[in-house]
Amino acid sequence: MDGNKNNRFCFYVIFLFCGGVDITRLAKGLLLLFLAGFSGYALSGDKEAGEERYKKTCINCHGPAGKGVASYPKISGKEVSYTKSKLETYRDGIKVGPNSALMIMMAKPLTDEEIANLAAYLEDAKYDNN
Amino acid sequence: MMNALGKLFSTVMALALLSGLSSHAHADGHEGMNVPTIKSSALMSGLENPWDMAFLPDGTMFFTEKCKGLSVRTKNGTVNALYGMKGSTGYSDSGSDLFCEGQAGMLGVVADINFAKNRTLYLYSTSSKYHGSGCKTNFEKCDGNIVMRFKVSDDLKSVSNRTDIVTDIQYKPFESNQPFGGPGAHNGGRIRIGPGGFLWVAGGDRHRGICPQDGQLLCGKVLRIDGDGNAHPGNNPPEGYDKRIYTYGHRNVQGIDFRPSDGRAFTAEHGPWHNDEITALVNGGNAGWDPAEKRGGRGACPDKYCGYEPKQMDAVDPAVRAAYTPMSDTRFKDLMPAAWNNNGFSQGTGSAAFLKGSNWGVYEGRLSVGIMGIAFGDTPPGSRIDMIDLTPDGMGIRGIVRMPLGFAKRFRGLVMGPDNALYASTDEGEIYKITAE
Repeated sequence: MDGNKNNRFCFYVIFLFCGGVDITRLAKGLLLLFLAGFSGYALSGDKEAGEERYKKTCINCHGPAGKGVASYPKISGKEVSYTKSKLETYRDGIKVGPNSALMIMMAKPLTDEEIANLAAYLEDAKYDNN
Repeated sequence: MMNALGKLFSTVMALALLSGLSSHAHADGHEGMNVPTIKSSALMSGLENPWDMAFLPDGTMFFTEKCKGLSVRTKNGTVNALYGMKGSTGYSDSGSDLFCEGQAGMLGVVADINFAKNRTLYLYSTSSKYHGSGCKTNFEKCDGNIVMRFKVSDDLKSVSNRTDIVTDIQYKPFESNQPFGGPGAHNGGRIRIGPGGFLWVAGGDRHRGICPQDGQLLCGKVLRIDGDGNAHPGNNPPEGYDKRIYTYGHRNVQGIDFRPSDGRAFTAEHGPWHNDEITALVNGGNAGWDPAEKRGGRGACPDKYCGYEPKQMDAVDPAVRAAYTPMSDTRFKDLMPAAWNNNGFSQGTGSAAFLKGSNWGVYEGRLSVGIMGIAFGDTPPGSRIDMIDLTPDGMGIRGIVRMPLGFAKRFRGLVMGPDNALYASTDEGEIYKITAE
């Protein structure tokens, strides 16, 4: 479940359970909302899936395990929130540096789930040929 | 009975099939084609952007790291750090004017043809020493790439007598409104010794539209000079051009080598969103890159550079871009047509070296080309080394074989070693030895 779907799920929970103004149901709804909000899907991505996605395109510029190559910066070893924020910024088409055009182009098709997975993978990805 | 007949039929059919396959396997006669077994191993790893290598006959290997400096790996495997960039540590000496930024830094290295006698080594790097007041904007001359000459000590532990023999190759000082728009773009940087011992210097357009076709600026040119930086007397650039220029109209030449059979120079050039090119050079010729605005039917372009237009920030079919700002523009009468254009893609040609030695079998004499791999739009990444069979006239190719390495890397620098092995540096930080037997 990606972030957008997760938000939609939360909305449906509120809609369904609040419609009848049943306090018990409302409590259950809030509990479900709480659980959904703090589920693993919402907070952390899948490292394995992140690595798989990384190898599809990102590796061509940033090198293996995000080590950074040529004039492309190192992107591994960053906090998950940092990487997610950067990718979301690029996906929104916001320029933040001289190579932004490239990153905007690459980030545009990423889903929330892919961003979460990439951020999880890159947090402690290591290149093992050093 | 039927069962026995069935078995007999199956056996006959199997034999017929095997016979057919066997006959087919012999049809192309490849057993007699002397196809070598190619193997690779990492000679060095853990380096920082190793960019170029230069060999001595005994196997000593000089190598550059883009943001660190020049080192040497001696024939017994020890490594000596010789000449560092500003801020580098551990080097026996350093240049306080040498710096790296974006694609710029310490790039090409080559030993003099008479190294055994004169211990001379040449080095290409970015330098702040000659900026003067010419680097206040991106639209000024801004001399910032240089070629240095050094004397290497007998014990390979130091270099001395630095002399800057070329001081006026242009550099991009600031960010511009382009993809890959950071400072330090397009420096070329490969240097090689050609026939007769002259030094060839490959340059880039440094994201300035007027560079490649301008006769006085050295950006976007290939130079042929002597060891003091003087023009080869036989250079034949157009009237009024700097006499050091051998060819002009280039975008970003990171590969140059000389065909063993006739000594002809070939360049490997990195395309924009389209058309990496291999080109056979002609003395005084034009490679056909002209990214200046208001030329060739174009209007104004972002920061006066049309090199990625149209719609430079969006995915556009490479053929559309190639038509708008061609790598080899046919409106030039002195155009040197490309021998190969990577099927219209730009995947990043990093370097080139002719395969020398009979150990390469059917591939001997082919041009090996390192492709770094870039995947934007629908362009496949394509990190690889190609072995290209060029036609004798240099106007085309007869075939390409991808070097069977079993792995993909950003192959930045290629050079033949004295042992007839190919050495390849990667942006990931390795130098590979690739052998053919």
